[in-house]
Amino acid sequence: MYHNIMDLYGDKGNMMVLSARCQSRGIQCKIDTLEMGQPCDFSAYDLLFLGGGADREQVLLMQDLLPRRNEIQKAMEQGVMIVLICGGYQLFGQYYIAADGTKIEGLKFFDYYTEAGSDYKRCIGNIAIQAKLDNQEITIVGFENHGGQTRNVSKPLGSVLSGYGNNWDDHQEGFYNGQVLATYMHGPLFPKNPEVVDFVIYKCLKRQNPSFQRMDLIALDDTLEHHAKQVILNRLHITV
Amino acid sequence: MKLLAIIVGKCASFSLRLIHRGGSLPGKLALRIDPQLLSRFHYSCDIILVSGTNGKTSTSNMIADLFQTAGQRVITNRKGDNLKEGITTTLLNASSLNGKIHGDMIVLEVDELNIPYVMKHLNVSVVTITNFFRDQLDRSQEMEQLIHKIETALQDFRGLLVLNANDPNVIRIHDHAPHSEVIYFGAERCSSSLTTTSEASEGKFCPRCSELLSYRFYQYSHIGEFQCTGCDFQTPKATLTATDIDIQSGTFQCQHVAYHAPVPSLYSIYNCMAVISIAQRYHMEPEICQKVFHSVTPPAGRNETFQWQGNSYTLNLVKNPTGANEVLKTIELDQSSKALMIVLNDNAQDGTDVSWIYDAQFERVLALSTQTIICSGKRAYDMALRIKYAGYQGKLEVIEDFHAGLNALYALHMRSYVIATYTALAPVRLAMRKEG
Repeated sequence: MYHNIMDLYGDKGNMMVLSARCQSRGIQCKIDTLEMGQPCDFSAYDLLFLGGGADREQVLLMQDLLPRRNEIQKAMEQGVMIVLICGGYQLFGQYYIAADGTKIEGLKFFDYYTEAGSDYKRCIGNIAIQAKLDNQEITIVGFENHGGQTRNVSKPLGSVLSGYGNNWDDHQEGFYNGQVLATYMHGPLFPKNPEVVDFVIYKCLKRQNPSFQRMDLIALDDTLEHHAKQVILNRLHITV
Repeated sequence: MKLLAIIVGKCASFSLRLIHRGGSLPGKLALRIDPQLLSRFHYSCDIILVSGTNGKTSTSNMIADLFQTAGQRVITNRKGDNLKEGITTTLLNASSLNGKIHGDMIVLEVDELNIPYVMKHLNVSVVTITNFFRDQLDRSQEMEQLIHKIETALQDFRGLLVLNANDPNVIRIHDHAPHSEVIYFGAERCSSSLTTTSEASEGKFCPRCSELLSYRFYQYSHIGEFQCTGCDFQTPKATLTATDIDIQSGTFQCQHVAYHAPVPSLYSIYNCMAVISIAQRYHMEPEICQKVFHSVTPPAGRNETFQWQGNSYTLNLVKNPTGANEVLKTIELDQSSKALMIVLNDNAQDGTDVSWIYDAQFERVLALSTQTIICSGKRAYDMALRIKYAGYQGKLEVIEDFHAGLNALYALHMRSYVIATYTALAPVRLAMRKEG
């Protein structure tokens, strides 16, 4: 969604990886880009992806996104998987108060809300978390860079091993309720975390075919991916 | 305190010179003794400040060359020590013990984040801005906040702004500096201009009313001719425009005088236009600009070629997506069999967030003619993943240690390109010079 606007921090890399990993397995994958003002039936898709943008872009985006709330709600009810990064994560909550004090009303799907930290202090750096994706325990690595402090997250994605996460205090990162996976982790997220992409692919396939199992996905050669993740884990002195 | 600070700084400079080192340490020490030191220097000449994301070193050095070629005594931070410590070092070295600076012109390259500090402490006559792109976002915060800080720093500025007319993020500066004069420099549509862009860019929305900007053409990234769909914000009529651009040869005209840019590329032509603007302001003849452009030696590691056993090895610095795209476009032009080595570090000066590699168009250099790609540096594996997921079909190698990586590259005995991030550039260049 809004790929040409919400493309801060290389988030487009996520869709590149998702598409390539489907292709390697012979899974058909078609990615459409939603532009502002363009009509869209969200329920027709298996996955919605919304990346991050700068504050000013999010204000503009929200004007386009708010009238689509019911459509997105309908898609959620029909089991469409949703992945949200950074700004996208914030916009699905109650509200976002930007660094200059501007309040952006969110889509209010979830109870969490975001306020910019005082005096321009931002959470910046490499991050590693221990997450539970349905029944699968995964260590996820990424890079976070956000001024917003997200609080009141009922279902965090995981607990922080090293880094900041949703806010300065509770050592939790992201949000995951079985269908919506939201996180502050850039990097981009997918290349170094093949387990996460594959999990998303699995969820999408399961929507089409409820008997589909996680292990039904063909294993790929992830040597480079694991090395890349290990470099970050070593840097953060984390042993898994 | 001022005297002590100057003495300590000068002693430090002297000692560093003895061991053939330069840098910003003297200024750092002096500022520790007297934090206000920069505002205590005396000078009667003008100060020209040059800033922006890309091209500030080249532009600043050419402006310094301009005045030197005209026979003036110029004080400048030529090596790109553009933070407050480096600028203090430059002025410290040029001053007498009482803080008096003897020179005809001071030309300072200033890091974007240091503009507020420099404007507060120095009496600047001219502010030149080349462009604003996303650059090391983890350091610069988001573009918007950065530009806002610069606007605030310039709100009482009464001197001259020299601005890139084709960058919406740059021309907006004048909106917030009502007391300043302005010269806009620009470039006409040319054979490499495009009507659509696939490059990640900052110039999507109007800085005045936030509506979408519509582009008549793009030169590269968000540099181009634009008009707001909601208000009258648009590319201003440029005071000086590059016309008759021939991108292959790097020639162009300005006010019916022919020039030859040091590098055949649009970004080099824009740098030249900033220099021509300054030359006009100081009533210099076009011949002096021509002479300066002709004799420019590109800064180290900018399209610098070394020879080894009959093959050419071209080294380039990359720091951000826009700069990287310009480098990748040059490599793309070479259709011959070749190898590529990419050294990706993530130290503070490189930007600790390497996700920018997904905003750069590495797809441009993945054709079959690129037979091998070697990824090196602290984040070699991240780079390899970027190349892998772009669908590269050739031989992809990861060799974290760049010395070993270079050896593997030399063992291929073929035309090669090496691109390195900021902290990798100097050591890689040194190693290539030894071999080459």
